[in-house]
Amino acid sequence: MIEIFELEKRYGSQVALSVPSLQINQADFVGLVGNNGAGKTTMLSLILDLIKPSKGYVCSNTEKVSETDTWKTYTGSYLHSGFLIPFLSPLEYFEFVGSLHGKNKADVQDFLEENKRFFDIQSFKDKYIRDLSSGNKNKVGILSALLSEPKILLLDEPFSNLDPSSQLWLKSKLKEIHQLGVLTIVSSHDLNHLTEICNRVILLEEGLIINDSQTSNETLSELEKYFKV
Amino acid sequence: MYTLLAHQWKEKIRSSFWQKNIVLNILLGILGTYFLLNIVVVSLFLDKILLLYFKTTDVVTLLTQFLFYFFLVDLFVRFLFQQVPSLAIQPYLTLPIPKSKLLHYPLIKSIFSFLNLFSLLLILPFFIKNIFFTQHFQFSFSWLVCVLSIVGTNNFILFLLKKYFSKQLAIPLFLFASIALVLALEFTKTTSFSISFSESIYWISSSYLRLITPLTMLALAYFSAYTMLRKNAYIEDTHIQNNIKSTGFDFLNNYGQIGQLLGIELKMILRNKRPRSLLVISLLFILYGFMFYKKGTLDNVLIMSISGLMLPAMFAISYGQFMFSWDSSYFDSLLTQKITFYEYIKSKQIFLIIACILGFVVSLPFAFIDYSIAFINAAFLLYNIGISITIMLFLGTFNTRYIDLGKGQFMNYEGTGFTQFLVMLPIFGIPFLIYVLFDYLGITPLYYYSIALFGVIGIVLNKIMLVKITKEFKKRRYTMALGFRKK
Repeated sequence: MIEIFELEKRYGSQVALSVPSLQINQADFVGLVGNNGAGKTTMLSLILDLIKPSKGYVCSNTEKVSETDTWKTYTGSYLHSGFLIPFLSPLEYFEFVGSLHGKNKADVQDFLEENKRFFDIQSFKDKYIRDLSSGNKNKVGILSALLSEPKILLLDEPFSNLDPSSQLWLKSKLKEIHQLGVLTIVSSHDLNHLTEICNRVILLEEGLIINDSQTSNETLSELEKYFKV
Repeated sequence: MYTLLAHQWKEKIRSSFWQKNIVLNILLGILGTYFLLNIVVVSLFLDKILLLYFKTTDVVTLLTQFLFYFFLVDLFVRFLFQQVPSLAIQPYLTLPIPKSKLLHYPLIKSIFSFLNLFSLLLILPFFIKNIFFTQHFQFSFSWLVCVLSIVGTNNFILFLLKKYFSKQLAIPLFLFASIALVLALEFTKTTSFSISFSESIYWISSSYLRLITPLTMLALAYFSAYTMLRKNAYIEDTHIQNNIKSTGFDFLNNYGQIGQLLGIELKMILRNKRPRSLLVISLLFILYGFMFYKKGTLDNVLIMSISGLMLPAMFAISYGQFMFSWDSSYFDSLLTQKITFYEYIKSKQIFLIIACILGFVVSLPFAFIDYSIAFINAAFLLYNIGISITIMLFLGTFNTRYIDLGKGQFMNYEGTGFTQFLVMLPIFGIPFLIYVLFDYLGITPLYYYSIALFGVIGIVLNKIMLVKITKEFKKRRYTMALGFRKK
């Protein structure tokens, strides 16, 4: 469960995000939508304690994220390529992340074998992550977030740069994980994907939550109406 | 063409590095001007210097002979340090600019390089003083054109050298072997190329018509460089993909999280250009020991202190002063992974300790010169482990500058800020103050023991200091992460 209290992030006088109160339950699969600059990434970064809030705080399972490290044991995340270590090969990176969560090489191998259709490690054996295309970097990041079998999963625009079959694969994977009881927050510009997989959609505009509702049959058309210029 | 050069200029002045730190820029500017002025002064008094060492009155001939060596060394130095700016044309490749035009641009740009300026400043003042005012115009004009075309030829030949070096090792190796052979013949006085060289320059300078020779050479070098670029102006060529190198550090994975982090650190150093070149330069620096450790300096406590402090720990200190910035391109990853801040900092400390110890071992053979060197260096090894590393880790939490691991080390001030100065101050200051104090009290024989004692105290307090540093790290981690994200 993630709780947000009086959270505010300002850059100078400009408010990047202001959320007085928000509770995300373990059963929630949240889709975060909004135009560029609405505050999606800011919100995810604040939940991950990557930036310092100007005001307020975030709690993960009732513990403040800025004061403990425990949330790192059950939180998987991938926001941008700065999460990857550029001079490692994908396999070395997976093994590194795996080892932090007590997985040995064989476990990592099994995991990669299982998800071979999404990212085939065999094709990228002799390459460093810095030499991968942005789509493949994205895949490495998403898989490494899944590798730790997280209870909370945060992904920033996971569908961008992915080929169609990978997008479909990811959608069903995320649904599957959600069914297993993983709290998931995904930001995306793809309204079709989001309304299909999420059970709750949060709409941000200029740092404020202007809509927060359970996904229903009308959600997609409502969102399309909002984003229409 | 002018627009492209203007873009390049904008890239330079708009680079976030310049805009970030004005004080450092001014300091670098002063330092640079000072350095360039030095060259001018050397050049102006070159005739006097030559007269002093070689009893000859014909300084022009002598200098012309010397230019032969100068150009050989110049070529070698260029090969090591000059960058080929071909990457910069990438954004223009798809724009409607003819490729034939576009490719002149990296070539022209290369003329305005530091090494060319260096050559110019070294030659021009001498030329004006000793040739222009004393010889007749035809000779001096031709001499200058001839010499400058050789500088230019060197400049463009470098493009070819660099290109073929990345493809096949044999050609440049052959070339450098021939340079070595030439120098060997020269010094054994078998044949003197430098005399033939100066004779040819004199021959060329005797008439305008003969200037065709050096100018053809220059044009030839330019167009071969041009053709080479033309053949290779594709994106896939500008970006060389390295194949993965196995490092053999896998055994580290058995030592828990800290072992893992050490493995990553080692891979980072070996697989990225900047830390790798820092490592090489630091190892070469150990050779300075042959200069430091001579009869006469062995009794000089200050020189022995500086060498004991720096020689073995050159890598640890020059690497450690940028602490945490090395991880700047993946700092967010480290913050969100299941790594405690304490273990992260501890792994850095262990890494630096190992670096200090290895440096000590590598520089141990100097003890053959005088056994006291081993003793002094051991005292400073303890000091570095106990004090210097703690200072670097603590002040490292104030580092907020991004470092691009892929760039070279030479003349690269990325990541340099006030923190680096702050790091150096106590590391050098503490031993100096102890020395001054002991000298005043007249107990200098105890000086090295007290350095070692300081180190031991630091080692004993190690755990407390690490906890304190972790606290500081925790406090400043947002500021650090914010700075590291600004590329």
